[in-house]
Amino acid sequence: MKLSLNWLKRYIDLPESAQEIADSLTLLGFEVDDIETTGVPQLDHVVVGEVLEREPHPNADKLGVCRVALGDAVGEKSIVCGASNYKVGDRVPVALPGAELPGGFKIKRSKLRGVESDGMMCSGKEIGAGEDAAGLLILEGRPELGTPINEVLTDSDTAYNLEVTPNRPDCLSHIGIARELAAWYERDLAIPSVENLPAPSDRSSDQDLFEGASVACPDDCPLYRATVIKGVTIGPSPAWMQALLSSIGLRPINNVVDVTNFVLHECGNPLHAFDARDIEGKRITVRNANDGETITTLDGEERELASRMAVIADEKKALAVAGVMGGANSEVKDDTVDLVLEVAYFNPTTIRWVSKTLGLSSDSSYRFERGVDPVSLRFATDRAVQLILETAGGEVRGPEFVAGSEPNWNRTVALSPDWIRAKAGFEISDEQIRSSLERLNMTVSGDSDWTVSIPSYRGDLERPIDLLEEVLRIYGTDKIPSGSVVATATGANDHPVTEYARQATQYLVGQHFSEVVNYTLRSSDEQNGWSESVAAMPLGLKNPISEDQTQLRHSLLPGILEALRLNQSRKTGATRYFETGRVFREVNGKVVELISVAFAECVFGRPRSWKERAPDDFYQAKHRTEVLAQFAGMDIGRFGMTQIEDDATAWQAGQAAIVDDPRAGISAEFGLLNLTRMNAMDIDGDVMAGSFCILPERLRAAKRVRFQPFSLFPPSSKDLALVVAQSEPASQVIRTVEKIASKATKGFEMESIHVFDVYEGEGVPEGRKSLAVSMLFRSRERTLKDKEVNKAFDSIQSAIREKTDYEIRD
Amino acid sequence: MEEELKQIVASAQDKAASVSSRAAFEAFKAEITGPNGSLTHVMKGMGQVAKEDRPKFGKLINEAKQSVQAVYEATLETIEAAEIAERLGPPIDPSLPSPDAGRGTVHPLTQIREEISRIFKQIGFTVAEGTEVETEYYCFDALNTPKDHPARDLQDTFYLPDDADFANVSKNTDERYLLRTHTSSVQIRTMLKGEPPIRIISPGRCFRRDTVDATHSANFHQVEGLYVDKNVTVRDLKAILDYFFEQLLGKGTTTRFRPHFFPYTEPSFEVDFSSKHLAKLGSDWVEIAGCGMVDPEVFASVGYDPEVYSGFAFGMGIERIAMIVYGIDDIRYFYQNDHRFLRQFV
Repeated sequence: MKLSLNWLKRYIDLPESAQEIADSLTLLGFEVDDIETTGVPQLDHVVVGEVLEREPHPNADKLGVCRVALGDAVGEKSIVCGASNYKVGDRVPVALPGAELPGGFKIKRSKLRGVESDGMMCSGKEIGAGEDAAGLLILEGRPELGTPINEVLTDSDTAYNLEVTPNRPDCLSHIGIARELAAWYERDLAIPSVENLPAPSDRSSDQDLFEGASVACPDDCPLYRATVIKGVTIGPSPAWMQALLSSIGLRPINNVVDVTNFVLHECGNPLHAFDARDIEGKRITVRNANDGETITTLDGEERELASRMAVIADEKKALAVAGVMGGANSEVKDDTVDLVLEVAYFNPTTIRWVSKTLGLSSDSSYRFERGVDPVSLRFATDRAVQLILETAGGEVRGPEFVAGSEPNWNRTVALSPDWIRAKAGFEISDEQIRSSLERLNMTVSGDSDWTVSIPSYRGDLERPIDLLEEVLRIYGTDKIPSGSVVATATGANDHPVTEYARQATQYLVGQHFSEVVNYTLRSSDEQNGWSESVAAMPLGLKNPISEDQTQLRHSLLPGILEALRLNQSRKTGATRYFETGRVFREVNGKVVELISVAFAECVFGRPRSWKERAPDDFYQAKHRTEVLAQFAGMDIGRFGMTQIEDDATAWQAGQAAIVDDPRAGISAEFGLLNLTRMNAMDIDGDVMAGSFCILPERLRAAKRVRFQPFSLFPPSSKDLALVVAQSEPASQVIRTVEKIASKATKGFEMESIHVFDVYEGEGVPEGRKSLAVSMLFRSRERTLKDKEVNKAFDSIQSAIREKTDYEIRD
Repeated sequence: MEEELKQIVASAQDKAASVSSRAAFEAFKAEITGPNGSLTHVMKGMGQVAKEDRPKFGKLINEAKQSVQAVYEATLETIEAAEIAERLGPPIDPSLPSPDAGRGTVHPLTQIREEISRIFKQIGFTVAEGTEVETEYYCFDALNTPKDHPARDLQDTFYLPDDADFANVSKNTDERYLLRTHTSSVQIRTMLKGEPPIRIISPGRCFRRDTVDATHSANFHQVEGLYVDKNVTVRDLKAILDYFFEQLLGKGTTTRFRPHFFPYTEPSFEVDFSSKHLAKLGSDWVEIAGCGMVDPEVFASVGYDPEVYSGFAFGMGIERIAMIVYGIDDIRYFYQNDHRFLRQFV
């Protein structure tokens, strides 16, 4: 909200500087976004002077040395001046030593080219009066010598841009803010008197002009007042009113419209003046709109109304959208003579909905939707009538047309000063509490248990806790003392998701990966292009803000690839990135939010080195993904690992694998990303990547480890080469041998088995491969004898021959 | 015979110099002490030596054996030294750079989040987590936000389609799904799950329907804190935040409360800080956080008795803090991931 300092000063004495007032407003809870001063700011030591004499400067052609009269208090001074637009006898602003001009320029006694100068004669621009910097500002009307310049150039004003929080509609006006400042500074508030108006009962009736107002939708409009003013003369409003309206960015229109705007910004009540001629049937009804009804509002737009909206109407047509904007059909025109003035209380919810639905916000709707003080309608009406009569002439007629009644606002809150102290946590005396409330126009009664009555304009104060805030505001929230930190031990730990992200981050950073952070919202193109199954997932937003951010991310990898591409194109030399975060996928017809970690490494883009390292391969990506799963307590080797076989995914067929287990709530992908797609994304080189996802609810705090004793006896090892179908996964072969071995060993066990060679080619039939495995046997109780190991080995081999189609290679 | 022994030793010493591999060494040894070696041959001839001469010759042979053994050892040492030299290759140039990838880096937003978590952990706050997709109830209703509050507008908050169905985000009734606008929803869900005392912070990603510019991002990070217990006061809130900002921004950092309005706290404040350590910002007050005492309505919605419990909540933007701490002037740097940006925060 815009606020004018000059306007505020009509209601409260404010000798403080514009900045000091801004600071006070801030501490009252009204954040000042900016301060704009127009005209001449408050300037000390700048006074009216007259040039008595001008001598040429002995050392500079363009300078003159002037004798300047400055009135009795200061006397005469010698001032060096470079301007040439003045003549002897002109009166000009003179900045004396000690003055500080706008922009921080400080005036001192000084020598200019060897001649003493005891001040400065000023241009308009130098003192903030206009933009003219070409010569001195010649003051008209020969003001008294020595007069402070602010008394001569009085058009200065300061406008504040103020943030008024939604709970304080009572402060959406100059009187509202002045009331707050009055409480802050403990000063009187001067509310304009409207006593000079004739009492409604003394007004002569004029039923020929207007017959009355009624409300057909009392929920939307609990109270409506219409007042008739006869015989106005439309013309410009007075200069003082125009200046104040302009200072807060309003365009003066005519005396009547300006008064309605002025009263709105003075006391916060929106009001509207209708040209009485345009009210057909001489009656106003506040009713709900008819479906499809239209009205052309004052801004020239034709608007279609809906039946839930309220309109001000005559017997034929809508005259205004209630509380939002008047209609062009009944506006005040240059030849308007008779007025019907509306002051009303509209339901905030109705107005908010209408304003939102029509996409039309006005100073009126802004206030109505936050809540106008119902009691203030009386004053606002009188004040507007008073100002219209003053500025446009005419006569107020009776009777007063009132429909509905004031909503009941009387409210008291029970409060005890001990309770305030207990909540505040510091000492604040009964007297301080009481006076804070009283300064805010509340009345306090009672001894230790107080009853506080709340003024009508403070609809936000309902509970004791609301009053605590008021007490602290007036006490000064910047004075709330600090205390010692009380640390309660709750016995809780950081959430497992947090711990998991930390572990994953530490691990990948240790593997030389750099963490990136990408947007959660991705483009449909990117998402749909990833794979057919992702394209089918319902991950779109209802109301995206832009085309490149329409979908929830299904994976962290697209963002990581974007980082890779950016760094490649900018040649930063970095090639390994990872991210941790949340992704969204459809599983069994429902969307789930998953915790994910993903990494990608591009072999291309690193600076050439004097010593080349082998690039990472599939098995490194697999290993890293396995480790990331292990941090989550998952051994992905135990789930089915599917090799990617087609090009329908972002992965390279035959070079990547997927583990997907909705029951366990996990999924993992790793390997080489599709080369063609990387190419299409302008990424050079092979990208080896991995991604792990888990349902957050599956992450648990790590269990305490239990020590497992191990054998202290030496192991015995046996190697075996098996020729198997090329498509047989190694893990399957291992599992089969493990199963056979567990039956073949008695009294000891096969401790481990691992693949140490994979061979295809000469000596192995087409379509088959040879896997060489090494088995380690060990007993917990004794050193194994060769004989028993050989026997077990023999029975393993014969079981393989009998039960599998594996061929044992000698 | 004595001559012969001398001859064998001399020849061994002589030939040793040319023995340069283990195989040659074995052959060299065989020539002397092998079954057919020269020294073996002499030793075999001991049988023919007269009995009285045997001690003398025995001694001579022993001496010769020792000499030969010394030659062996020296030769082996030389070979081993040569082998090690070969295994090692030429000496390194310690000034050459490592060819390995540079060290990994932790994103500045993560670092700030972790730093905040560490500071709060010192005073008993632990990290709570929640989903980024939330429902209108947990994001607004339970936080005393009026039904027609502008924050709920389609203009300001991202919603999921009406038929959206999330398996692991629970609804209160049949309210809409949305992307959380703050992590206060985590506070609500935490309070619903447990009983006071509660002392948590909830860092996380939030969303507002803002157009991206130097200080706005539709996607940003926030950390909120919540403390609920008996007799929690405004002064306790001030104490916690003073402690936190002094830890984060350096000794001598002070904070100031300004009255403000949030639907979920009463009284509500905005927090300004002033710190000498951040030269650019000078000693002016800089807005940094919002806070307040938990509104009794919020306690009512989670079933806590406001007559028994009181508490406070606070919240601040992680990007904003990172920008202040590191002197970053554009929020978009955080999401571009240019390595020249990332590597500055190691």
